[in-house]
Amino acid sequence: MTWIDFPFYSSITGFLWVLGLIFLVVSYKKQTLIKIAYLLFLLGWAMLITFVVKLWIELDRPPMRTLGETRLWYATFLPLIGFITYIRWKYKWFLAYSILMAAMFLAINYLNPETYSKTLMPALQSPWFIPHVLVYLFSYAVLAASSIVAIKGWYDSYKGNFNIETLKLADNLVYIGFAFLTLGLLFGALWAKEAWGHYWTWDPKEVWAFLTWMGYLIYIHYRHFHNHKTKQALTILALAFVVLLVCWFGVNYLPVANTSVHTYTN
Amino acid sequence: MNLFDKNMSENTIKFQRKLWENPWGYAESFFIGFGLMLTGFFLEVFAGSEHIVTVSYPYNIFILFGYILVLFVLYKKFADKQLIRWLTKVPASISSIVLITILVMFMGIIPQVPSTNNLINNLGLNRITTNWAFLLILFQFLTCLGLISIKRILQFKWSNFGFILNHVGLFLALTAGMLGTGDLQRLSINLYEEKPSWIATDAQNNQLELPFAFYLKDFVIEEYAPKLALIDNSTGSISQNKGNNLYLVEKDETYFFNNFEVTVEDYLPNAIRFGMRYEPVNEIGAPPAAFISVKNIENDSIQKGWISSGSFRYSYESLKINDAYSMVMTIPEAKKFSSDIDILTKEGERISTVLEVNKPFKFRGYKIYQLSYDDKMGKWSNLSVLELVKDPWLPLIYLGIFMMIAGAIYMFWMGNKITKNE
Repeated sequence: MTWIDFPFYSSITGFLWVLGLIFLVVSYKKQTLIKIAYLLFLLGWAMLITFVVKLWIELDRPPMRTLGETRLWYATFLPLIGFITYIRWKYKWFLAYSILMAAMFLAINYLNPETYSKTLMPALQSPWFIPHVLVYLFSYAVLAASSIVAIKGWYDSYKGNFNIETLKLADNLVYIGFAFLTLGLLFGALWAKEAWGHYWTWDPKEVWAFLTWMGYLIYIHYRHFHNHKTKQALTILALAFVVLLVCWFGVNYLPVANTSVHTYTN
Repeated sequence: MNLFDKNMSENTIKFQRKLWENPWGYAESFFIGFGLMLTGFFLEVFAGSEHIVTVSYPYNIFILFGYILVLFVLYKKFADKQLIRWLTKVPASISSIVLITILVMFMGIIPQVPSTNNLINNLGLNRITTNWAFLLILFQFLTCLGLISIKRILQFKWSNFGFILNHVGLFLALTAGMLGTGDLQRLSINLYEEKPSWIATDAQNNQLELPFAFYLKDFVIEEYAPKLALIDNSTGSISQNKGNNLYLVEKDETYFFNNFEVTVEDYLPNAIRFGMRYEPVNEIGAPPAAFISVKNIENDSIQKGWISSGSFRYSYESLKINDAYSMVMTIPEAKKFSSDIDILTKEGERISTVLEVNKPFKFRGYKIYQLSYDDKMGKWSNLSVLELVKDPWLPLIYLGIFMMIAGAIYMFWMGNKITKNE
């Protein structure tokens, strides 16, 4: 049992999930079908977990060292987070979104098999690695989703049929995403303290993560106290997303990037 | 003014209110904020921030308690004053968050190192964290944060639970982090195998005698296998191989590089060249070597030869496969490095432990980290560099951090209940 078996397990998981997604979409029309979607998601997930457990036993160490293994964990945890969020907030599309993201990571692994052998420097070999990266990834995903909702809000108000529910959905996503962003930031701080003895060094990525955090902080405070100024709120949300994008992708291209421990390119 | 008029004026307060009239809103908040920022930049240009003193024990404790006490008294006794009321309202918070964001954005764009640009130097835009403008705005931010925390704590309601966790947590983490820098001690110490060491060096390169000594019994590095790479002969840089990662050298494996099929026929982790071939040896500085065969898929020609990554003692060896390309072996990367040490105290105690990256050891208020080694020597390094960090304010900072973690989980679960229930 090694990565050689991955195509077998992942294709079954992927197949079950895609089938589940179809049932989920149809369940918007016919509510009872959602149960079949759950079942398919869970079966796919069980398949994936079987693979992770067997790989773990085979390697005789937690498979958390390489990039490929990290992606495997994203794929394993995203459905879990999707389900928890679904149970709590009942956003069906969000469940679909997390399953799709998980499937995407399986696909990336499927297409880049050689990444499994990538070496990992000692500082990265930490139990904080997975939670830090995972909650960040998740918060990026949720906050990106909130921006999609904001674009819908803009379009609606342009058309003159803006509904406040749209903004409330964006709020909820921002709260969830912001909570995860905070966790990512703090887990990173705790990890850095264990590895290097500093919990915060104003590394470029840290600077931009902080700015992203502040951006959504402004949105949350503004929304909380100015419930009816929807246009302004949407603008703040859009600006915060721009900062998020810089943090996510843009940092590598800034003049400050070469001093960062967070750049993954050689 | 009769009651009706009063109601009218409150409803339309936004339109009738003049600047600096009660209550202060966004215009005044940003006016004050920009004023603070300008003051800060003036101080930066004319006074400079090189002389900002970091306070240390016990004065930082006095400052912390004094600050909280002052905030408490301000809230209790002067809550009806315009300034205090403003500080507990959201325009003051939002303006300070926005201005901090703007200042930190400078940090995210301008490298924080001495600059050739005089404007950047004079305004201190390359040292934001100690910039007067930043510190003044941060002070206003903390004061807002402190006052609203006190306000919500005093009017305690269970529904405020998440709010208090987040706000008090942030207040604690930030103030303790800043005040704690004066007491933060960060030392590094060089250990050589089988020699006791007790002289550490601080950030200013001062030598310091520790109350205990370290004895390095053994320094161990585990390495990954070296990697195979195809390099461009004209530039000497690694050819992209279609964006794939480099392959680890493993015996009997076959890999593809562009049009070349490379098979590792033999791999020796420690070897030296003897005449035509490499032989395994157990000698300091003996680098890894591999015998590879390279098949050109286009014309089926095969080339065989030894390659080696080289070490501090022996030079590397590449295999030229045509005019354009050569195969090389990269220097092995460290997988894990650790120091097997004894700590010897003046009382004659002897504590044995193994230090490893990500696994620091706590001893007498210090956290001891495995920092580095002699990377020229690689796995043959006799030197291990440790770092000793004493951060007495850490428990307070962690209290703040864990309150915020709890607050974040609360936030995830409750979501935006307030706007949702309206």
